[in-house]
Formats: sequence, structure tokens, C-alpha cells
Amino acid sequence: MSLGLAAACPLFLVPNTGLSKKKTSFRTARSFGYSGGDMYKWFALKRITKGVVMYAILIVVMSALFNTVSDQTMGSQIQEQVRMEAQRLRNITPAALQNWQNDRKNELIRLYKLDRPLAERIIYRAINTLTFNFGKSTIIKSSQGERDVLTIISEAIPRSLILFTVAAAIEIILGIILGLKKAQSPGGKLDKSTSFVTMVVYGMPTWWLAMLLIMALVYTVKLFPSGGMHSVPPPSGFMYLVDMAWHMALPMLTLVIIGFWGISFIVRNIVLGVLQDDYIMAARARGIPENKVLFGHTMRTAAPPLITISLLSLLASISGSIVFEGIFSWPGLGNLYWIALQQNDVPVLLGDLAITIGLYQAGLVLLDLTYGFLDPRIKVGGKA
Amino acid sequence: MSAKDLRFWLKNFWKDFRKERSGLVGIIILSLSIFVVVFEPLLLPWSEVNTRWRDIDYWRDNSASAPPSWTNLLRAKKASTTEKVKASKPEELELDGGIKMIRYEFEYDFTADEPPLDAIIHGLGSGDLPLTFSVQRPDGETIELAQRFERGLAETDVRFSLGNDARDAAFGFLKSHDTEQNLSALSPGAIDSPKIIFNETHEGMSSTFKALKGIYKFEVAAMILDPENSHYEKPYVIVSGSVSGLLGTDNMKRDIFSGLLAGLKWALLIGLLTSFVSVLIGVFYGIISAYYGGIVDTIMQFIFQLFNGIPLLPVLIVVSAIFKPSIWFIIGVMTMFFWTGSVMTVRSMAFQIKEGTYIEAAKALGAKNRRIIFKHMAPLLLPYSFASMALSVPSAIVYESTISLLGLGDASIVTWGQILHDAMAGGAILNGVWWWIIPPGLLIAVMGMTFAFIGFAMDKILHPKLRTR
Repeated sequence: MSLGLAAACPLFLVPNTGLSKKKTSFRTARSFGYSGGDMYKWFALKRITKGVVMYAILIVVMSALFNTVSDQTMGSQIQEQVRMEAQRLRNITPAALQNWQNDRKNELIRLYKLDRPLAERIIYRAINTLTFNFGKSTIIKSSQGERDVLTIISEAIPRSLILFTVAAAIEIILGIILGLKKAQSPGGKLDKSTSFVTMVVYGMPTWWLAMLLIMALVYTVKLFPSGGMHSVPPPSGFMYLVDMAWHMALPMLTLVIIGFWGISFIVRNIVLGVLQDDYIMAARARGIPENKVLFGHTMRTAAPPLITISLLSLLASISGSIVFEGIFSWPGLGNLYWIALQQNDVPVLLGDLAITIGLYQAGLVLLDLTYGFLDPRIKVGGKA
Repeated sequence: MSAKDLRFWLKNFWKDFRKERSGLVGIIILSLSIFVVVFEPLLLPWSEVNTRWRDIDYWRDNSASAPPSWTNLLRAKKASTTEKVKASKPEELELDGGIKMIRYEFEYDFTADEPPLDAIIHGLGSGDLPLTFSVQRPDGETIELAQRFERGLAETDVRFSLGNDARDAAFGFLKSHDTEQNLSALSPGAIDSPKIIFNETHEGMSSTFKALKGIYKFEVAAMILDPENSHYEKPYVIVSGSVSGLLGTDNMKRDIFSGLLAGLKWALLIGLLTSFVSVLIGVFYGIISAYYGGIVDTIMQFIFQLFNGIPLLPVLIVVSAIFKPSIWFIIGVMTMFFWTGSVMTVRSMAFQIKEGTYIEAAKALGAKNRRIIFKHMAPLLLPYSFASMALSVPSAIVYESTISLLGLGDASIVTWGQILHDAMAGGAILNGVWWWIIPPGLLIAVMGMTFAFIGFAMDKILHPKLRTR
């Protein structure tokens, strides 16, 4: 997952830390178990509100932090706009033109509140960001040639999501299978060797592996395309999907090769913790077959944390390996960072950041909601 | 925890740790890298790499994109290696009129099958100097390479390149050995002079190369017209071959091994400093949050969640892009986000410890809050954070490399990520320049592995619950 396993480091230590649940979720979730959906609705509402408030705070902080650079960008964009409009004017004396330009400039400055005090500018821009009003990009254009930042970003979101969700799904499936096998005979050959590999790939950057694989499998052995999402021009119909899968194969392979070790390690720890419970010993004593103990008894208890891990690993991708898209020129959110950096396109950069933080926050809310829904007996604080 | 307790604890810890083989491997690699950092000046082939990594002049004697020299082992036709040839003792001749002549000789043993790309004769000169460069080949022929009159030198480096400055001489040499017809196909201004000078004399030598192996004697003779003010000293020859150094060179002619060696200390610094400070902050944050409880806990948890809800990498990218920060700033930003990693664990453990009777007793005896936190709680909880300290080192290194990969790193230092950025920008992937891509990333991965070994071993000892049984 993410940048390499290292980015998910807290996960490795204590399997339950992902569940930063508070007393609220404890109370409401349990009540949900007893008294239907009302309490859960209340809990969900609270959690969502909290997420929105946090997002708003972060955006205000961001707006304050990047105030100067936003002012500059806005200023130069206004100048550009006035120049463009002035070119369209005909039959005008130079003095009148000068006047007109000054008036127009002041008008735009007033429109974008550049003449207002600092605090007001910060709040104004924060509100703009919160309402997804990111303004115009300076250079980058969407595939339709538009310069609206929101359009550019909303084109990129689904591309990122499809790559990372599919990769995360494969990682999780492989991770759970391997993790269960490891937990079955802890300290055994399989457990030891796979744990060793986990440690070896622990600090390996995903993008470096991507570079190596591209060098080997794209340019040396010509198996995969060098980048992008489709061939140019993209084929139509069913071949469109095949073509996309072919382009997606190598990025996904890279993510999975590094990611599933970590998940299997965490799964192993969670399952091992459950296997030490008394009721498992009781089940074994009753002579229930080992596979049934593993998949029936153990998995039922281990399911909520496993789902948390799955969602967290997806979130970790958003937070960590987004840059990795740039290596494959996969035109998602991460690649947008690369392009915006190269073109020095500040509005796109800031918009991309706002959206990434938003997605991350939404993911966290979703995580808590799912967990509250699944586990009616969350322990307060969790045991360490 | 007194010093005695600590020693006892450490002894026990070491007893357990010794049994973890991977942990020991981690410790060994870590000590080795610390050793390398300490003795870096002795190990660097290019001693000024730390200050002049981006100085093109410093690297111009190297050949560009040269593979590592050990790749010669895999080649049928051996390529020439970049090497430095030292001068023999100067020979001084007194000429009449108070004029002196200093002669230096360099013996270069040419054993490769392909000619070197260039040979550069360096020397420090002062005053006005007439210089004569020549080479004596193994077959006995002597070629006058060039004569130069350098004026107004003041301890300046006089650089004579065989490739650029000896074309005329090489063409002259060719004239006396090859046929008119072959020569007419050549233009004298564009010939590859090392290829001619290291070539066996034969008909058609202007186009085909047969290595003439043996000892080449390069010679510089300087006339000292005014012994008071002018002199010529410290000459050396660099033969720049088509393979170079332990790990080759990049497209800017920089020695990659030197760059990697210089990057090691930064990787260690970034990793250790970030993880140490942030885990320390996290531990005390968790303890304070749990100890005071109530409204303090609520507020502190809110702040914790606020930080926890920010995806670090995107923020780091945008902050670096807009503020063009130094490495210390990057470390600072990483610390600001890394501390959240250990808070939850510590907090939940502190909740248990805080209810202990000895804390109650300390309170009854009138101990201040600060004393209880620092004397009674922190010593119990800090050891548990060592594992997370070790395990967050790799993430710090990887985050910094990622920022550098995007070209946002601190331009005053050399880091592995920056080398990889240059490799990306220089088309190393497309051209298959593997010696530019594999080593830096491998080092990042090995560093991560080292701390993972140490961290997981510690974790196993400190959290016996997960022990395999």
C-alpha cells in the first residue's frame, strides 16, 4: 500500500490503532445492536458533521497558509484577463484605453476581493474552496479544453479511484489468504519467510519499483505500454476495456507486489490475536475442524478490523502513493500534481490538494461509519 | 526508573534481542552505515561532492553516462576505465639566461580494447608559461600534441584535453601512416583524436581501431621564463574511459557512487531526527492527554484527529512547491504529521497506568503532575515507543525521497531521491541506464529494511502478545 509499506507504519504495531473510536461510537453502536437504526443514525450524523467541520477547519488553515501565493496568482490572472479583453476593443484612443484598462482592473480586483483585508480574503477563498469553486487554471486544460479547475480535477478522480480500488481489492484478497495461512502456523516456515519478505519490502518506495518494472517490462521486454490510460486513438467497444486493462496491468502489478505483504502481516496479527481467545480453544476442544475454526469462528470476530484495514490501505494509497501515478503517466489525481508542478499551475495544485484532503476525510468518515455498523462492541480505547 | 533499573532492563532487552537474527542483521547494517558516514571523507572518490554536486566544472573530466567499471568483467571487448595518472618526479633543466624547464612524465598503462574517450592533462600554473605536450607510444613513435603559451596565470588550472586540443597533431600523425584516399574522407576538425593516438599504425587506421596496448608516456614541459613569479606544479592526467568508477556516471558526468555516499548521512539524519522527535512528541502527547482526561483529553483528541485527517504527501508536495523549503523545513513538516502515529497506543496504555496504586500513592505524597508524568509514567511508556521510532524511520526517508523525486528537494544537499529525480528527468528509464536507477532506490529500500528488521525485532520483544508460540 501507499508509498511503500512504511507509510502505514502505525498499523503494523497495534492491530487496533486504526480504530480511533471514541465513547460516542461505543455507546451508539451498541445501542444500535439493541434498538434499531435510530441511534446509529444519530451516530452517523454526528460523525459526518464532525468530518465536515474538520474539513472546513483544514481548508481555512490551507487558505491562510497559501494566501500570498493565491493573491499573486489571482493578480496575474486579472492582468492577463484585462489584456485579453483590451485586445478586443477597437477604435479607441490610447488614453481611453489606459483608462478603460485601469477601471476594468479595479473592477476585477473588487470582484475577487483582492482589495479587502487579509482575514476577509482568507475566509472568502476558504468558502470558495469549500463550495468547490477553485477558479481557473493558469495553463493546464481539461480534455475538452476547459480551464475550470473543478472540471480538470473531476476528470482525474475516477481514474485514480479505479486504479487504486482495484489494486486494493486484489491486495486485500491476497493479503487475507496469506495472512490466514501465516496465522495458522505462527513461527512456521511460511510465516517466517513471508514475514522476512514483508520486512525487506517495508521501506521500498512503490515508485522506484515502478521505474524498475517499466525499464524491464516496457523498454527491455516489450510487454506493456509505457504509460497513459489508453492507446492513442482509443479503440471502441469491448476492446476499449481490454486496452484499458492492458494499460492498467503494470501499475496495478506494482502496487500489489509491494502492498499485499503488509496486509497479510496485519491480518496475521489480528487473526493470531483472535485465535488466542478462549472460545477458539473451546471450539478446538470440541473437535471442530481447523478450517471451520479458522473461517467460521475466527473470521467472524476478525471481520470488522479486517474491513478497517482494507479501507485504511485504500486511504493510505490516497495519502501516500499518489505520486506513483506520475511514473506511469496514469492521468489521475497524482499525475495532476506532477503536471501542476511542472507547469507551476498554482490553482490546480491547490484545488488538487483540497480535493485530496476532502477524499481522505470522506474516507475516514466512511471508515468510522462502517466500523460502527459492523462491530457492536467496540472497546473504549482498544487494548494495546 | 533509576540508572540501575535501566541497566537491568537493557540487559534483559539485549538478551531477548540477541535471539532475533533479523534484528541483529539490522543492527549490523546500521552500524556499518554509521561507520561509513563517519569515515566518509576517506571513502569518497570525489572529495568535494558535498559542495560541488551541481557544479558542472567539477565533473567535466568524467565521461557522461558511463557504466560502472566492473561491467568490463562481462564484456568481451574491454572498455577503458576512467583513472587518474600521477606524474613522475619533475625533471628540471637549467637553460641559459636564467630560464628553467620543468618536465613531468606520466605513465599510462593502456590495456583495454577500446580507446579512452579523452585524456586530460591538468596542472597549476602561475605567470607566463610556454607549455609543450607530447606523448610517446609503446611502438616508439612520439607525437607532439600541442604547444601553448599561457599568459597571466595566477595559480590557475591549465587544462589540456586530448580530445579537443590535439586534433591537429592527431591528423598529422594520421597523415604519415594512412593513405591519401582514406584521409580524404575525414575532416580534420571533427576527428576523434584519442581513437587515433591509441590506435595501432596500419593502413585504414583512420576508420578502424586496433588497440595498441602498452605504456603510453605523456609528457608536459613548461618553460619557466621568470623563476621568481612563474611556476608549474601538481600536474596529473585523467584518462576518461567509457566505463567509470564503482557505480558509473550520470548524464551530467557526475560520479554516482560519490553522490550515494554523500546522500547516506542525509538519509540517516532525516530518518532518525524525524522519527525521534515525532515519537517523543507523540508519547508525551498521549500521556498528557490520558493523564489529565476530561476536557483536556477531548480537545487534545480533536487536535490529534485533525492532524490525522490530513494526507501527508499531498500537503508536503504543495508546501514544498510553494515555499521551496530547506531540508530542515521538510523535516519539520514531516515531524508535524508523524507524531500522530504513536499517540493512540500510548494514550490507551497511559489510561491503564494512571489508575495504578503507585500513581495514587505518589499523588497522596503530594507529587506534582509534572513529576508523575516524567518520573512515573514516561519511563514505563517510552520503551514501548522505541519500536515505533525504528519503524517510522523508513517512512521519513521515503517521504523525503518522494518530495525530491518530484524535484522539490533541498538543492543545497545531495539525497538519493534527488539522484532518482535527475535519473527520471535525464531519461534513464527510457535509455536503460540501470546503474543510475537501481543503486539509489536499492539503498532507500535497504535502509527501510534495516530499520524494519530492528523495529520488528523490538516490537516482538516489547509486545509479547504477538509472539509466535
